[in-house]
Amino acid sequence: MLKIENFTKTYGTKKAVDNLSLHILPGQIYGFIGHNGAGKTTTIKACCGILQADQGEIYINGVSVKTDPLTAKKCLAYIPDNPDLYEFMTGIQFLNFVADIYGVSADVRQERIRRYADIFELTQDLAQPVSAYSHGMKQKLAIIAAWIHEPKLIIMDEPFVGLDPKASHTLKQMMREVCGRGGAIFFSTHVLEVAEKLCDKIAIIKNGVLIRSGSMEEVKGDSSLEEVFLELEAEK
Amino acid sequence: MTRVLLKKQMLEVFSWLYRDNKKGTNRSKAGIIGYSVLYLCLFAVVGVIFFMTAYTMAPLITMGFGWLYFAIMGLITICMGVVGSVFNTYASLYLAKDNDLLLSMPIPSRRIIFVRLFGVFIMGLLYELIALVPTLIVWFMNVEFGPAVFFCTLITSAMISLFVLVLSAVLGWVVALISGKMRRKNITTVLLSLVFLVAYFLFYSKAFDYLQAITSSPEGAGAMVKNALYPFYQMGLAAEGNITATVIFAVFVCALFALVYAGVSRSFIRLATANKGAAKTKYKERRARMRSADTALLLKELKRFTGSAVYMLNCGLGLVFFIAAAIALLWFREDVFRAAYELVGTDKDALCLAGAAAVFVLCSMVDISSPSVSLEGKNIWIVQSLPVSPAQALMAKVRLHVLLTLVPAAVFFLVVEILVRPSAAMALLLPAVSVLYILFSAAFGVFLNLKAPNLTWKNETVPIKQSMSMVVSIFGSWGITAALCVLYFRLAGIFSPAGYALLVAALLLVLSILLLRWIKTRGAEIFASL
Repeated sequence: MLKIENFTKTYGTKKAVDNLSLHILPGQIYGFIGHNGAGKTTTIKACCGILQADQGEIYINGVSVKTDPLTAKKCLAYIPDNPDLYEFMTGIQFLNFVADIYGVSADVRQERIRRYADIFELTQDLAQPVSAYSHGMKQKLAIIAAWIHEPKLIIMDEPFVGLDPKASHTLKQMMREVCGRGGAIFFSTHVLEVAEKLCDKIAIIKNGVLIRSGSMEEVKGDSSLEEVFLELEAEK
Repeated sequence: MTRVLLKKQMLEVFSWLYRDNKKGTNRSKAGIIGYSVLYLCLFAVVGVIFFMTAYTMAPLITMGFGWLYFAIMGLITICMGVVGSVFNTYASLYLAKDNDLLLSMPIPSRRIIFVRLFGVFIMGLLYELIALVPTLIVWFMNVEFGPAVFFCTLITSAMISLFVLVLSAVLGWVVALISGKMRRKNITTVLLSLVFLVAYFLFYSKAFDYLQAITSSPEGAGAMVKNALYPFYQMGLAAEGNITATVIFAVFVCALFALVYAGVSRSFIRLATANKGAAKTKYKERRARMRSADTALLLKELKRFTGSAVYMLNCGLGLVFFIAAAIALLWFREDVFRAAYELVGTDKDALCLAGAAAVFVLCSMVDISSPSVSLEGKNIWIVQSLPVSPAQALMAKVRLHVLLTLVPAAVFFLVVEILVRPSAAMALLLPAVSVLYILFSAAFGVFLNLKAPNLTWKNETVPIKQSMSMVVSIFGSWGITAALCVLYFRLAGIFSPAGYALLVAALLLVLSILLLRWIKTRGAEIFASL
């Protein structure tokens, strides 16, 4: 579903990500962890076509993000770490805007908006301008917008930040549902307990270099993910 | 602490000068000097208008009515400063994105307000200096010079600047109070501003008559200022070196400032942290309509435009002026035609060409596309991550500019055609030239903004009012219009008016095609890499 091959990105003289390769299969929830500035957001943005790779290739469902970005982007949805949405729109206008871009039919989008807005208890606020939304409400709106075209791949950067416990629980369920219908999830998080419980596979990145990846059992063995992560971080 | 805050505020106010927003780095010293010289030249060009006004009023000084000269020119300076900074004040004081951050720090709100007001003061000063410097030049050229006159004039000038700040702060405060309770605040702000501007232009249109009346009968005007505008009478006397008047005027302005400062400080936290949204609108599910991606992008741009009073006022004023100009043309047709006959003669096609020049000038007041790339700001990830090409996103900006300008421009050029009744060729060429110019200016705006984008703004007034693309767009438009007018008179013997219109149309078509091609290729690459 998502194949990252030898991805390298440099800012000036600093290599933000160095020769990273990952392969996320349909049905997998893939966690991406690392310290601040490790290169998680750079990798995620490159997967979504926001950043260009200096070297390497990224394929979404077999389509290269570099050579055919529009086809690749049609299969995915992205939720950034900070949901800066259009504040001049109302919630419903934003959802309709995203649905229009993805070509979601009127009936289908109406049903999905109704369903997800109800789940996240956002229905009554859909007529409000986004500028009046709290951080958590914006995050919920970004999630609904991401789910509105039922993407095969959902890429999220710190999706649980700002969500209340109920919404976090709902999001986890929705993530599992996506994988249940053959989709895949690739997300970064600092909440290692969440990653440990939720992910099928995990990748740990440090200073732009992939230092460990594999199934949860392979990565952590008998230890907790937190112990493994701290151990790897302590290594020079 | 105040020094640190002032430094931060100055960095924000002058970021347009020292910061290269395209590269995200600070400009080199040479770059800063270059930009300073450019802005100084622009200010000098506008300053000439005020110099001519001051020069017209100069006889008052030699007639012994120096105080009246200074009172009137001081009032003009105040108007210039307030008009220049009034739209900026509300946003700078109450909508600054770092308000919450500063309020969370152990900083007294009075100090935050002081620093914010200082920023407004500097912005107002930049505008008022355009009028104040010519006023002072003409003043010192004609007044009987002495140390008392020199120092009192300087103190009075400083007080004028403080008075501009007082008025700007009061107006910003009123806007903040009203906007907290308004439902459709963008439209209301635009309407109120338009009323203000109409009043300003009505006054401005009569200004020359007023100036002539004042210089021919200074006694009457002097008595009026003394009775109705007593503080400004004292202001005039102060500039003449009258120490008592200087003290009175300074105390008056300082007292007003203290009052306003106290008032604004008291209400600052409440207004700055107020829920800016109007009463909650209840969501009612309506049947959704599916639109194409291009239409969705266009509607997004439209919502961006109508969602901001600052954007509408600064970049869309020409749309209203097109309609106003059409009405004015119908209403004052005889006066307008008399002036046009003197300029281009009585040839109907030449009159139509003058109409095209008017379209170009009015187009310079429509700059919707010029800040449109920068206005993506932190939201740029949305279009970058969605399955739309950068070219599609950029063309939506061009299309909105063209579509919004077309209707009011059509009203104007149709009125011109109805009144002038040109030849059949010219009847076709006027709309063609107008539409092509609108297309050119829309593409030119996007081109300029892609060359100097700023996505890191904290306040939307920065890309809208203080960006290089806006300045070049407005003055470039004037320059192009002036160049085309000069070229017409130079080529008058070679080209008929219709022939010249055809030449301009061809030129605009070629330029538009080149710009649009650039936007879709290189421009799209730049947009994708932002």
